[in-house]
Amino acid sequence: MTTVLDRPVRPVVARLRRDRRRWAWALGAAAVLLWSLAGAGLFTGDVVNPGGTAQFGRFAAAALSPALDAGFLGLLASSALVTVAYAVLGTALALALGAVGAVLVSRTTWGRRRLGWLLSRGVLAVPRGLHEAVWGLLLVNVLGLDPWVGILAIGIPYGAVTAKVFADLVDEVPRGAHSALLAAGAGRASATLYGLLPPAAGGLLSYSAYRLECAVRSAVVLGMVGAGGLGYQLSLSFASLRWEQVWSCVYALSLLCLAADVAGRAVRRRLAAPPPGPGRDPVLTGAVVVPLLLVAWSWWYLAVSPASLVSARTAEQLAHVLGAAWPPATDGALLGSLGALAVDTVQMSVIAIAVAALGAVLLAGAAARPPGRLSPARRVGGAVVRTVLLLLRAVPPPVWALVLLFVLLPGVLPGALALGVYTLGVLGRLTAEAVEELDPRPRAALAALGARPVGAWLYGVLPGAAGPVLAYALYRWEVAIRDTVLVGLLGAGGLGALLASEIAAFDWAAVTTVLAAIVVLTLLVDLVSDRARSVMR
Amino acid sequence: MSTRRAARSGVLRSQSPLPPFSRRSLLAGAGVVLAAALPGCGRSSPVSQSASGSAGPLRIGAIPDQDPEVLQRLYGTVADSMSAALDLDVEYRPVTDYGAAVSLFRTGDLDLVWFGGLTGVQARLQTPGAEPVAQRDIDERFTSVFVVNAATGLTPSDDLAPLAPLRFTYGSETSTSGRLMPAYFLREAGVDPQGFPGGPGFSGSHDATLQLVASGSYQAGVLNKQVWTSRSEEGSVDPSVVLHTETPPYHDYHWLLGPRAAERLGVDDLGGRLIDYFTGLSAGDPADAEVLELFGAGSFIPTEVANYDQIEEIGRDLGLVS
Repeated sequence: MTTVLDRPVRPVVARLRRDRRRWAWALGAAAVLLWSLAGAGLFTGDVVNPGGTAQFGRFAAAALSPALDAGFLGLLASSALVTVAYAVLGTALALALGAVGAVLVSRTTWGRRRLGWLLSRGVLAVPRGLHEAVWGLLLVNVLGLDPWVGILAIGIPYGAVTAKVFADLVDEVPRGAHSALLAAGAGRASATLYGLLPPAAGGLLSYSAYRLECAVRSAVVLGMVGAGGLGYQLSLSFASLRWEQVWSCVYALSLLCLAADVAGRAVRRRLAAPPPGPGRDPVLTGAVVVPLLLVAWSWWYLAVSPASLVSARTAEQLAHVLGAAWPPATDGALLGSLGALAVDTVQMSVIAIAVAALGAVLLAGAAARPPGRLSPARRVGGAVVRTVLLLLRAVPPPVWALVLLFVLLPGVLPGALALGVYTLGVLGRLTAEAVEELDPRPRAALAALGARPVGAWLYGVLPGAAGPVLAYALYRWEVAIRDTVLVGLLGAGGLGALLASEIAAFDWAAVTTVLAAIVVLTLLVDLVSDRARSVMR
Repeated sequence: MSTRRAARSGVLRSQSPLPPFSRRSLLAGAGVVLAAALPGCGRSSPVSQSASGSAGPLRIGAIPDQDPEVLQRLYGTVADSMSAALDLDVEYRPVTDYGAAVSLFRTGDLDLVWFGGLTGVQARLQTPGAEPVAQRDIDERFTSVFVVNAATGLTPSDDLAPLAPLRFTYGSETSTSGRLMPAYFLREAGVDPQGFPGGPGFSGSHDATLQLVASGSYQAGVLNKQVWTSRSEEGSVDPSVVLHTETPPYHDYHWLLGPRAAERLGVDDLGGRLIDYFTGLSAGDPADAEVLELFGAGSFIPTEVANYDQIEEIGRDLGLVS
C-alpha cells in the first residue's frame, strides 16, 4: 500500500518575508541595550582605568605558572572528590525532581487546561529564581554543616530548571506514536511511557549530561559559601589573592568540566548514530551503570544521612529562620531602593548577555567541530578556542568581577562584563554545538562557487546560526539575572549587593523582601524572553 | 511472531535509542548500588559531621580574615596543640564566609570560634549563653589604616575629610577593622560613611583592598593595621599605595565559646580551662610559638563582654546588628 503524505516533507524554498514583529523586537532590544550602556556610564564619562593593567597582568600571568607543589596538588585532589560528589548527588536529585516535576508541568499533562499549566509553571519559578549560592546560604542556616546543604542547594533550583526543560522536550516530540497508542486504547500513563519517552530519551540524556557539567561549576560556587571542595580552596586563595593557587583550582575545575563534557558528547554521538549489529552497546550501558555507581560512591563518600533532614535541631533552626523571616520587611526606604537596584540588575544582565552573544557568534565557527577532515591549523585553532571558552566559564564570576575592577572604574560595567565573559564561556559552547548541527551545504556551495571564507560564513552560516544563538542568549538572560547576585558587592550594585548586605546583617525580614523581588524580576524576564523566542520561531 | 513479542525481545530496538535492559540486570544493578551505599551509614563525612549524636570532639572554627589561606590550611596545628593541652578531641572545621561562621555557631556546629569584633557580637546576640574567652595582646589596641593612591596627592594627616570626594572601598561588609570601625571614625570626622562618589565598594578582603587602591580603580580604602604591617614588611605593597591615617585603637578579634559545648563534652569549667590554655601559650615553647606566630600574636590575654559594647552600639547604628 502506498501512503500519500498530505504535506511535503520539507519546504523546498523558505518563503522570504519581513516579519514586522521581529523588527519591533529587534529595535526594542537595541533600545534596551543602549539604555543599559548609558546606565553603565559608557557615554558620560571614563570607564576604563589604565592604571590597573599591572594588577590585571599579575592575574593573567599567573595562568602560566599555576601552583604545582605536591602539597597543594594533594589538597586539590581531595577537594575535587568532594566537588564531584556534590555535583553527582545534586544532579541526581535534580533529575529525580525534574522527572516528577516534568509530569506536573508539561502541556501533555494539562492538555487544554491552560490556567493549571500556567500556575504550575509559576510555582516552578520560585526555586528557579534563586541562585544556588543563595540556596546554599539559606540552607546553611537551617542544616548547619551538613552535606545536604550542597546537595539541596544544587538539586532544588536545578530540579526546577530540569522539570521545565524535560517538559518542553517531551512536549516537542512528534506525537504519532503517542496518538496511535491512545487510539488503540492504551491508558494515558502507558501511552506517555511508550509513545513519548523513547523518542525524547536522547534529548533527556544529553540535557542530563549538560546539567552535570553545570553542577560541577555550581558546586564550586557553593564551596565559596562553606560547602567545601574545590570552591573552598579557590575562595581561600582568592581572599589573599594568591593567583597561582587560584589558577590551579581553575585548571582542576576545567578538567572536571571537560570530563563531564567529553562523556556527555560520547553518549550523544552513540545515540545519534548507534553502531550496527546486535548486542548491547557498551558505551550506552556504561552511560547508565557508571552514573549509578557514582551516585552510590558519592553517597558513601559524603556520608549523607537522611536522618539529619528530619532531626529536631533542623526543625528548631527552620522555625528560627522562618520566624525571623516572616512577615517580610515593608518599610518605605527598602521598597524604594528595590526599584532603583532592580534597574541596575537588569542593565547589568542586558550588557552581560549582549557581550556574551556577540562573542559567541564570532567564536562559534571556530569552536565548532564540523564533520569531515580538517586542516591541522583549523584543528589546533578549534581546540584553542574551546579551551579558552572552558577557562572563561571555569573562573567563577566573583573572581572575574575583581580582576575586571582593576582595569575598569567602579560601577555597573565591571560586574556586567564579569558576567558577560563567564556567560560567553557557557554560550560559546552551546552555540558551537548548534553550529555543528547546522546544514553544512549552503556554506559548501558558496565555497565551491568561489566565495571567500568570510563571505561563505556571513551568508552560509550566520543566517542559520542566528536563530539558535539568540534563543540560547535569551534563555541565558534569565540565568544572568540570577547570577548578578554573585558580582553585586564590588561597587557594582544591583539587588545582589542589597541581598548580600541584608544577609550580612542577619535582617531576615529584609532578606525575604529582596528574595521576593529577585524572584519576581526573574519571572518577568522569563516571560519577556519567552515572548521574544516565540516571535523567532 | 507478533509485534508485541518482537518489541519485548528487542527486535524493534530502533524504536528507542537506549539499550534494552532485562529486569534481572536492572534489579541486580540496583542491588549493587544499594550495597555500595550502605557502608556510608557508619562513615564520617569529609565535609562535616552531624552535630547530633555522641559527644564528639570540640569543634573549632574561624572567620576568614587576615591570611585566611595560611590560617585555614594550617589550622591543624592549633587543633593539635589545643587537643594535647586540654586532653580533648579537637577538630577544625573550615568556613569561608563571615555570615556562615555566625550561623554555624548559632546552630551549634561550631563550639569555639575565632571571631572578629562585629561578628563576635552578632554571634553572641544570636546565641544566648555564649561567652568571650580570650583575645590576642594586639586585639586590645587594634587599629585600621586608611590608605590612598599616590595619584591623589594626599599626604599623611589625621584629617579624614579629604577622603570624602574620592572613590572609596571598605573590605568585607561585616569586617570590624575593614568596615565597622572605619565607618565610625569617618562619621566622627564628619564624612558620610555610605557617601563617596558612586557609593563605597566592598572589596571582600584586606588584600583585595590594597590591590584595588594600587590599581587606582578606588582612590582610597581602609584595611586592618596588622595586614598593612605584614604586607609592608614582605615588601608586597605597591609603591602607589600610601598610608593616610591610622585610626584610634579599639577591641577586635576574640575567641567565643558556645553555650552547649561544656555540657555536651562533659567538661566542667570548659571556659576556664580554655582561658588557661590560651593565656598559658608562651613564645618560649616551640610548639606554642608556632600557634602564636600563626595568629601573629605575642600572647593571648583574657577578655570580657564589656570590651565589645562600643562595637555593638556602632553596629546597631549602621544596621549591622539587630
